[in-house]
Amino acid sequence: MKLSSAKISKESKGTSPSHGGHHKNSFHSKRQSHHSILPLQPVDQLEQWSSVAVDMYNNSSSNNNDNNHHHYQPQTSHTSTSRSSDYSAGGDGDPSATGNKWASRLLKECARAIFDKDSSKIHHLLWMLNELASPYGDCEQKLASYFLQALFCKATESGQRCFKTLTLVAEKSHCFDSARKLILKFQEVSPWTTFGHVAANGAILEALDGEPKLHIIDISNTLCTQWPTLLEALATRNDDTPHLKLTVVVTANIVRSVMKEISQRMEKFARLMGVPFEFNVISGLNHLGQLTKEALGVVEDEAVAVNCMGALRRVPVEGRAAVIGMFRSLGPKVVTVVEEEADFSSTRYDFVKCFEECLRFYTVYFEMLEESFTPTSNEKLMLERECSRGIVRVLACDDDQDNEGERERRERGSQWSERLKEAFSSVGFSDDVVDDVKALLKRYKPGWALAQPYQNETGLYLTWKEEPVVWVSAWKP
Amino acid sequence: MPETMAEEPVSNGFMQNPVPGSNNPPVAKRKRNLPGTPGKFLCEICGKGFQRDQNLQLHRRGHNLPWKLKQRTTKEVRKRVYVCPEKTCVHHHPSRALGDLTGIKKHFYRKHGEKKWKCEKCSKRYAVQSDWKAHSKTCGTREYKCDCGTLFSRRDSFITHRAFCDALAEETARVNAASSMHSLATTNFSYQLMGNPLDTGMPQHFPSIFKTISSNDETIDQTRRGFSLWMGQAPQGHDSIGKSLQEIQQFGSLNSGSMYSDPLVSTSNPPASDYQLNWVFGNKVSSGNAEDQLTSTSLPLNNNVKENGTQLVSIPSLFSTQHQSQQTPSFSMSATALLQKAAQIGATSTDTSFLGSFGTKCNNSQIQDGSKYSDLYVSNTQTTTLGRDMENSANDISTLNQLQMYPAKR
Repeated sequence: MKLSSAKISKESKGTSPSHGGHHKNSFHSKRQSHHSILPLQPVDQLEQWSSVAVDMYNNSSSNNNDNNHHHYQPQTSHTSTSRSSDYSAGGDGDPSATGNKWASRLLKECARAIFDKDSSKIHHLLWMLNELASPYGDCEQKLASYFLQALFCKATESGQRCFKTLTLVAEKSHCFDSARKLILKFQEVSPWTTFGHVAANGAILEALDGEPKLHIIDISNTLCTQWPTLLEALATRNDDTPHLKLTVVVTANIVRSVMKEISQRMEKFARLMGVPFEFNVISGLNHLGQLTKEALGVVEDEAVAVNCMGALRRVPVEGRAAVIGMFRSLGPKVVTVVEEEADFSSTRYDFVKCFEECLRFYTVYFEMLEESFTPTSNEKLMLERECSRGIVRVLACDDDQDNEGERERRERGSQWSERLKEAFSSVGFSDDVVDDVKALLKRYKPGWALAQPYQNETGLYLTWKEEPVVWVSAWKP
Repeated sequence: MPETMAEEPVSNGFMQNPVPGSNNPPVAKRKRNLPGTPGKFLCEICGKGFQRDQNLQLHRRGHNLPWKLKQRTTKEVRKRVYVCPEKTCVHHHPSRALGDLTGIKKHFYRKHGEKKWKCEKCSKRYAVQSDWKAHSKTCGTREYKCDCGTLFSRRDSFITHRAFCDALAEETARVNAASSMHSLATTNFSYQLMGNPLDTGMPQHFPSIFKTISSNDETIDQTRRGFSLWMGQAPQGHDSIGKSLQEIQQFGSLNSGSMYSDPLVSTSNPPASDYQLNWVFGNKVSSGNAEDQLTSTSLPLNNNVKENGTQLVSIPSLFSTQHQSQQTPSFSMSATALLQKAAQIGATSTDTSFLGSFGTKCNNSQIQDGSKYSDLYVSNTQTTTLGRDMENSANDISTLNQLQMYPAKR
């Protein structure tokens, strides 16, 4: 019988390092039967799951090395070398799956169960995740919490409603002061957004150098935090400062409400800098494709730059080519594109793959937040909460339901390049700009680096612990 | 200056191109003006030597000479002066020649040369090595201080902060008060009037501000013209505010956890909220309005009276602090600054009426001051309802039918 054979093989190796007395023995026999859980055996299924849940819960709360149930132990135990060979995990043969990453394992299992419509398993896993998850715990607990919400919505087909509610809640608690504090604090501790700002500004300044009338079309939700440094550069670098017209296209509803305040500040700041300045906001668009030259106020004698900061991913996948064509029709001198490095687009018909990619990306993001902010930071909490909407939207809502542009089917830089190549040719970043970016990264905690892509690829990548996370590129017609 | 003197071209030893990174091994610094090597220019009063004439002159000033002796005692010796070799440069002309060779070299590199030296920390570029060295010493050590009091070690974060800092409003008002008053006033007006934020909401204390600036002639015409709109509505505004203040007291905390539990409960919350908003704002907002007015309101939507005592206290105190912050500097601020301050108060509530600003400000104080408290409050409600509701809704879902095994566990 399978169960007993597993038991035998386990004991022969005898590698359990902590000989914490009888505790081990009493659980050990039961533990053996768990090796073959996945895929689930119909017999004793409930007891296995429930005792496993209890083990995990005990471990994560007691943080104890002696109860060495080394599969599920939260901290890495270097001595349990036989772990991976025993635990075949029914197809999830990931040799690096340590006890640390319980959340990702459970979440992936649950996603698969949902896809397979295995209702009992779904139920068990949702219950377990709910026991262990918390948006106020460590990274694993947080990821479990936010992804649990999405999985639940997917299982109960309530994604749309959940998303709407989350959006409403966020909008209610959103105001200029909180938004400003949040984004400025984030930029202070992490170069996630400032990387794109510095590179894009460098490319824009170089492309528009010498032009007397500038028109920058900013399609982003950065609350114009990119522009003060550009204004300063315009004011100080030349003897004759050009006239700058800034048109901001806002797609997220949340941002819309604070744009009035933002525009006042920007106008004041430009006056302070001594830069002739004009500011316009375009909001209320359902779809970027609705933009036209006239709507944007593009006139003949001005030099246009289009700046897309996390904007293209909000365009429905089928409409992306049209939007890029629309940019081309504006006749810009330069188009700068900044996007996060994740692929939710080519996997959009494969739930499990999409889920795994989503989990991978947000794991990196959450870990980055954890290490960049102080442990009790309120801003970190708010940023994590903002992710919840995106996660629910990607995983639990259908694409064909028409929503107001909050779809976020991200693509990788290489994919965006393929699209942009249809209408533009890529512009490299000059050495000066690259130096600026490197100097920027030096000012943050270690772990960040700049990566220049391989031959065929364009743009620059920001990497966090060697993992590319943000991509920036510049294009000309 | 006689032409003959200035014909010296600058060519000798001038083209030593500094090689970037040639600092290793470091060159021994040459000490200037040591006892063994006094400078060419000597001070007749104390005998100190200087490398350059202008430094000597600066030094002599410090001796407080009576006027007669301020002139040079010795006759002017024919001196070499240097001109910039770049023909288009202003300093190419003898009348703008410089006194020493080093100076003209530096000028040439700075203005017409390639910037070969780069600071590592901030990537600023320099053409002259000594400039670069001097900068490197201070780079990163300099601290930038914003008017609001915050210190920054990085210039870029300082600039970005400054652009959005509240302290900016006062400064620009003071600086630009005289020159661009007219344009400021009109832009602010058009701005506010377009967005119609203040239809119902002008409280009574605003008119009192304008009494204090009656001494300022020119501004008054503009301000009076514009504010007559506002002042005219003040009486009605006051009434509606008084009423709405009472209504606010009935609403509970904004961040109530019940919002989070909504995904799991299939009640229709949104339509109910629209109805309530209608009631509070009068006829201003229509239901199902997807525009700015609704999205930016911050009044709570649910009727659960989770009475949060601190909320009530904060409303009048916020109101009065806004009031105070307007009153106290009013004597020193110009009319346009006051205008801007007034506009800010209206603007922070974005498009809604003044009531919206109550909610926004309240929420601010909750978030910023009592952040821990409100978060904890939310968290408790969230996790427990999530757990509980999961069980309930799990029961409701027809696809999951092996439920009878679980209820006892809880």
